[in-house]
Amino acid sequence: MAPIRVGPPDVSPDAPSHVLGVREGNAVGSYEAQSGHHADGTADARRSTGIRPADRDPLSPAMPNLPPG
Amino acid sequence: MTATEQMTAAGKPPQIVEMDWDPITRIIGNLGIYTKIDFANRRVTECHSTSSLFRGYSVFMKGKDPRDAGFITSRICGICGDNHTTCSVYAQNMAYGIANPPMAEWIINLGEAAEYLFDHTIFQDNLVFVDFCEAMVRQTNPGVLARAEATAAPHAGVHGMRTIADIMRALNPFEGALYNEALRVSRITREMFCLMEGRHVHPSTVYPGGVGTMPEPTVFTDYLSRLLEIIDFVKKAVVLNDDLFDFWYDALPGYEEVGRRRVLLGCWGAFQDPSVVDYRYENMTDWGRAMYVTPGIVVDGKLLTTDLVTINLGIRILLGSSFYRDWTNEEPFVERDPLGNPVDIRHPWNQTTFPEPQKRDFGDRYSWVMSPRWLDERSGEHLALDTGGGPFARLYTTALAGLVDTPYVKARDGEVRISLPRGRSLPETELRWSPPAWSNAIERDRARVYFVAYAAAMALHFLEQAMDRMRSGDTRTFTDFEVPDETIGCGFHEAVRGVLSHHMVVRDGKIANYHPYPPTPWNGSPRDSFGTPGPYEDAVQNMPIFEENGPESFKGVDVMRAVRSFDPCLPCGVHMYLGGGRTLRTVHSPMFGASHG
Repeated sequence: MAPIRVGPPDVSPDAPSHVLGVREGNAVGSYEAQSGHHADGTADARRSTGIRPADRDPLSPAMPNLPPG
Repeated sequence: MTATEQMTAAGKPPQIVEMDWDPITRIIGNLGIYTKIDFANRRVTECHSTSSLFRGYSVFMKGKDPRDAGFITSRICGICGDNHTTCSVYAQNMAYGIANPPMAEWIINLGEAAEYLFDHTIFQDNLVFVDFCEAMVRQTNPGVLARAEATAAPHAGVHGMRTIADIMRALNPFEGALYNEALRVSRITREMFCLMEGRHVHPSTVYPGGVGTMPEPTVFTDYLSRLLEIIDFVKKAVVLNDDLFDFWYDALPGYEEVGRRRVLLGCWGAFQDPSVVDYRYENMTDWGRAMYVTPGIVVDGKLLTTDLVTINLGIRILLGSSFYRDWTNEEPFVERDPLGNPVDIRHPWNQTTFPEPQKRDFGDRYSWVMSPRWLDERSGEHLALDTGGGPFARLYTTALAGLVDTPYVKARDGEVRISLPRGRSLPETELRWSPPAWSNAIERDRARVYFVAYAAAMALHFLEQAMDRMRSGDTRTFTDFEVPDETIGCGFHEAVRGVLSHHMVVRDGKIANYHPYPPTPWNGSPRDSFGTPGPYEDAVQNMPIFEENGPESFKGVDVMRAVRSFDPCLPCGVHMYLGGGRTLRTVHSPMFGASHG
């Protein structure tokens, strides 16, 4: 490191932003684990709501299933 | 000077006055330009560009979780932070061995296109044009204003301003019609950005592996309606810029020398094509060439390469006039790239930053900016590439490469053709940009508005692609991944004002080395260890002065136009300091008996 005089650090430079044991959003399998997301990249209304989601899917299977965020 | 040919000797005995601008206004307040101006011959004789600010990202990124890199490096800039996030995501994708799903790639492209629209508009119309507005020209070149009053604007039928002086009045800060319209447009384009990347300027929904933006019909239609709202503004802006800049060449013969330097341009490419990009270093040549802005290096008007691997391996970080200790005795992090090519110790992958604060000395070291150069293997020269403010290099490489072929933007026959659809008041319009004769201040500024049109046209293409995918029911925007313990990655992107690269080395699952190289170190670099001046210095040094004021009331508007044409990073208005000027020496020169002094 550079020879600059500095004060004592407030935090260790190596302090991890991730704590062991806490589930990571990027972990392999996370996508499949989320409700309403399908392996082929499509989604259904369960992605947006847990309340009778099947009733909120499109009327016709030919229509794209585009649940709100 | 090594980069640009020397001008011929001056005619009158020089009257050299030191003129400094520190900080330069309408950009981030840490760039200083120190010049010596010969008022007798109206020419800048010497220029140093300096930065008094040390950032230290490469120092404090060490030991951090690599997944945080995009969020941390975003804070490098207050206006193009998202470019850093995106570039970091590219570098991390390579390091983790993943690619964004196609929908995520289109969403990032749409966000970045909105960023170019926003940033170029606000910089050009609200900051650059202050140097060309009526209030400024009245003070610096009253003769030019008088002529502008009598000159009809060739495209008055499109933009509605009858004379060039009317255009200049529309550019006046706070009161001019175009100034205010540009502010309104920059709000709309910012909204477009936020639809895609969540928040401006530090995105909240862009991560390695994809985005958190949900692809819904309303997201895309909201974007489309805003894009079409500004499309006529873009058409008007292009012809208005052409009118103004063409007038400038006519009114001030020789103005092409202002900010002129050798054509030495670098562009690292923007807008990934999801059908090609896999972020593997081994395939970087192919997916680099598939980008919707072609990467490349142009020397003296000729395209040297479009290969991102060649570009990557040629990058060298030189010292010479910077406040740092050399790192060549350190152990390199990356000795060979994934293709087996040797990686130089002066490459960002191997760089270690050792700051050495000291007093500024223009004879020795004078800046916190290092000197990034690109080694041309053929000539052995370390080229001081500039970005031409971003758009100039992007259009130049794309035009010469001729690889971009989309319904709205095509590059062929050495030019870029941009077609914009019909808007509320103007019909469908085709614009053409081809490389001009010079790399100078006016052409850098002109290219900026053409790139606004380029980004708008590209955004239409991205929208169509994204909406097609959405209609097929594709909503996947994220790829999951594990962070390897040992890996490397590099990302190449275009920040708004030019080349942007991020080089990352991961060891033990943490960042061992991280070096972002944004455009301003390339443009604002000081003299390197070979004595080659940086692009600002090179462009300003030896340029003629057209301002009618003498040293007492000198505003330095020509120097400012030259420096600002490079879009020196952040438009953050601080007050301007301008000394009265100190006469260094008045020299009687008997050279050629030209004068009796």
